[in-house]
Amino acid sequence: MSLCHLGRLLAGAAALTIGLSTAQAQEMVKLGELEAQTGAINTYGWMSSQGTRLAVEEINNAGGFEVAGKKYKFDLQQVDTRGEPREATVQFRKMMEDKVPFVFGPFLSNIFNAVRPIAEQNDGKFLLMGGATSEHDYLGKPGSSYLIRTWNWDAGPDGFGTLMVQYIKKLGAKKVAMLFQNDAFGKVAVDIYKKIFADAGIELSVDMFEPGTKDFTSSLAKIAASKPDYLFPGYTDAILYDIVRQSLEGGYGAKFFIVRGSIGPALKNKDQIDEYIAYVPKYFEQAESTEPAVKKFIESYKSFYKRDFPYDQAPLCSSSCYDHVYMLVEAMKKAGTVTDVAKIREALLGMRYSGLWNIKFDSTGEQVFSFNIVRVKKGGGIEVQSLDPTAK
Amino acid sequence: MIQLVIGQLLNGAIVGALYGIVALGITLTFGITGIVNFALGAFMMLGAYFTWYGYEMMRLPYPVAVIGAVVLVGLFGLFADRGLFRFTRNNLVNGLLVSIGLISIIEASVLLIWTSTPKDLTYVLPGSLRIGGILLPKIKLAVFAVLLLVIGATYLALTRTWVGRAAFAYSQNPEAAALMGVKTDRLQTVVTVYSTALGGLGGALYASLYSLEPTLGAYYVLKAVESAILAGIGNTIGALVGGIIIGITEGIGSVFLPTAFRDGYGMVFLVLILLFKPSGLLGSK
Amino acid sequence: MTRIIPIVAFASAVVAPLLIRSDSTFAIITFGFLLAALAVSFNLIFGFTGQLSFFHAAAFGVAAYMTAILVSDYGWSFWAAIVPALLAVGLLALAVGAICFRFKLREFYFAVVTMAFSEMIRLVVVNWNSVTNGTLGMTVTAQPTLWLPTGSISLTGARTWYYVALLILVATYIICHRVLASWIGRCFAAIRLNEQLGETLGVNIFMYKLLSFVLGSTLAGLTGCFYGFYTGFIEPQYLSITQSLDIVAMVLLGGVNSLFGPVIGGMLLTALPHAINLTAELRIILYGAILIFVIIVMPSGIFGLFSRPRHAV
Repeated sequence: MSLCHLGRLLAGAAALTIGLSTAQAQEMVKLGELEAQTGAINTYGWMSSQGTRLAVEEINNAGGFEVAGKKYKFDLQQVDTRGEPREATVQFRKMMEDKVPFVFGPFLSNIFNAVRPIAEQNDGKFLLMGGATSEHDYLGKPGSSYLIRTWNWDAGPDGFGTLMVQYIKKLGAKKVAMLFQNDAFGKVAVDIYKKIFADAGIELSVDMFEPGTKDFTSSLAKIAASKPDYLFPGYTDAILYDIVRQSLEGGYGAKFFIVRGSIGPALKNKDQIDEYIAYVPKYFEQAESTEPAVKKFIESYKSFYKRDFPYDQAPLCSSSCYDHVYMLVEAMKKAGTVTDVAKIREALLGMRYSGLWNIKFDSTGEQVFSFNIVRVKKGGGIEVQSLDPTAK
Repeated sequence: MIQLVIGQLLNGAIVGALYGIVALGITLTFGITGIVNFALGAFMMLGAYFTWYGYEMMRLPYPVAVIGAVVLVGLFGLFADRGLFRFTRNNLVNGLLVSIGLISIIEASVLLIWTSTPKDLTYVLPGSLRIGGILLPKIKLAVFAVLLLVIGATYLALTRTWVGRAAFAYSQNPEAAALMGVKTDRLQTVVTVYSTALGGLGGALYASLYSLEPTLGAYYVLKAVESAILAGIGNTIGALVGGIIIGITEGIGSVFLPTAFRDGYGMVFLVLILLFKPSGLLGSK
Repeated sequence: MTRIIPIVAFASAVVAPLLIRSDSTFAIITFGFLLAALAVSFNLIFGFTGQLSFFHAAAFGVAAYMTAILVSDYGWSFWAAIVPALLAVGLLALAVGAICFRFKLREFYFAVVTMAFSEMIRLVVVNWNSVTNGTLGMTVTAQPTLWLPTGSISLTGARTWYYVALLILVATYIICHRVLASWIGRCFAAIRLNEQLGETLGVNIFMYKLLSFVLGSTLAGLTGCFYGFYTGFIEPQYLSITQSLDIVAMVLLGGVNSLFGPVIGGMLLTALPHAINLTAELRIILYGAILIFVIIVMPSGIFGLFSRPRHAV
């Protein structure tokens, strides 16, 4: 090779190197998600991951987002904990090693309890936005500045539990019978609602059953003897279908008050019920025609995933889901940084976001949001009321 | 109060009959193949899901869906027997472990195919009748009748037909039965398949009463084993009676005692029986 | 061959941390060691004495809870708390074992009754909210400190726990090994092979069955004491039948006829979920299939493939 050629080769290489280094390498912001995507308890994690992914795709396809003059895209890392705490600790450790600054989830309390020690070790380096009930006790405590809870606390002053109980008090309820399963969440729910009902001046009786029970006639008969105004069963849909059916078949009671579950059981038994009042984060069937943001979301979902929109699961997208990705982007813009998590947290806690829901965080980092109360009457008539505690 | 107790007696009997039919499967399997087939709970679940699919998804009439489900479950039982249980005859520990492995596979497969979203059938026979001062759903009465019929028919088959008597003879003395020309291998397969079909029927009827989840079998098989042990393994009518006793005690117990420990009572009872009268309350040995 | 494998394996385990960087890998291996220790102590009862116990998880869980409660709520030091925890587990095992063996419960019925007792204890733990915090579980924030001539080390950090877990595994292994090599081990073998024959030969079946059960369960308790402090979180699921079943699967997979087989089984079943990324349902199916496969096709497990049959009788 002649000197001339070599020179040209070197020049070419130099040009290439300079060209490459000045070309804009796409900067990524890692977003992790720690949920149970498969397994028997995957309902929460499934919807959450669907919504989050949709938001990330929309943002990235639009060219990403800009913070302090630089363009970024999300690098979404969704892991499946399968509902196993041991598994989750290993996966979470890995996320911390990979320096993931934002983690959505977990919704399951036992998963949160298992990863909490590791999270506290990394306090200050990341933000965890999850819906688990067990997170509530750690909010605002020292060493927990990473923690933000994306589900409303039933018993807070703006809690949906408090507001729901006030609603049925106005309808004239004096006595309510609670029938919940004897498991972790069931016991927490009993503690929470005992207080709420006491504060509202409504008499509450509590009966608990073993998880796995299918025949509730003995409990229902016992409860019916004290003639409550409303039956308050909880908290999964499977249980609700059985309890509502058996209560109606046996003539034990026809008025129901629900804080977790769908209105499916009511519609199935519409001619036998007197009244069925349910808390639903959002009644999508109606919101589709009344709220443009919801309509857009449903269309986006259908065209991206190419399947039917899961109306019954969609209410769960109020936690660590679609809206929260956009909130995160807004917070980063306001704080002017993608790495200073303390500033981003401050921005998140200071904003009121309007998307599918109106969302705000209180001073400890717990979510307050708008929701629906759905009242199904005998014959199947549906009345939807919207409450917005963020608009104060 | 009286009404409450009568109500629980009636309801408990019906619920207990459902335990009883699975208990019958357990006791037959144990008598003839020497293992306790915990997987019968999973077969019951399959029966329930197949019925749901046939009735809700394929819009077949309910009785057709039930028969279809029972036949399908019986087929599954055949495969399970020829492929797996054939190798664990009379080996209780291996039988236990293989059934547990099988349960995992069946439950996880159903979870995969039909997800954990609960399935609730369109009501088959809505409406209730007033009996003894309480309202009993018509469908529960119908299910009770069917269960009594099937268990009764099984009892008659065991005592009147040749197959039945051969089975009985075998359970008493395997070698003598073999010498008398009873094809033991085929007999064992027939009994295993029949037991799974019974479980499937239980599940098919369960589907008309309650919502379905992939884990419904676990609860029932435990109750069924308790019923079978209570009555004495190998006792056909005893399985039904045992089931009814457990169903009634549960129901009445729940009214007067805290429901939270309900399963605990059953277990204490079970342990006591196993320790002091392993041949069961109604057993003779 | 079979003598050398355990020694080589343990030796490599000691030096392996020099090659490992990642925190999560340390976590997987540490869990593996702890669960393998459970499997080894379980096999003392199952593989070597022939009793299928479903009480192991309960022993493990009770010790974990007791140690955690004494340290967190009563301010005991960790090392002092181990003593009453192990004593409690030992006494529980003594009671359960005495009842079962006194009534001459054989294999299957023994399995069912230990299952029942285990469930009852779990129900107590679940419902005794004031002490155990029920289904919500307990978080453990205290860290045990170890005093050495060179100064005290606090038991935190991936590397430290790696060695602690390895130590527990090795200790469990050695204790079981010594017991089995002694005349006690021969009595266990007699019980496993032919109980009636053993009895006629003068072996006190009741006493040796009980000894095996109590020793195995107490060793499980030892693992339990440490486990809670490693994960920082204890829940009633630790005492569930599924947990006992996991241990059975580990032992069957690894090899029920040896002490090292359970180690293999334990490490494999702990590490496998992280190596193969399957959905939860597929993983359960695989697990069930492994269980069935091992029982029907490979009853001696993986380690059994390497060793010649040890039980000539």
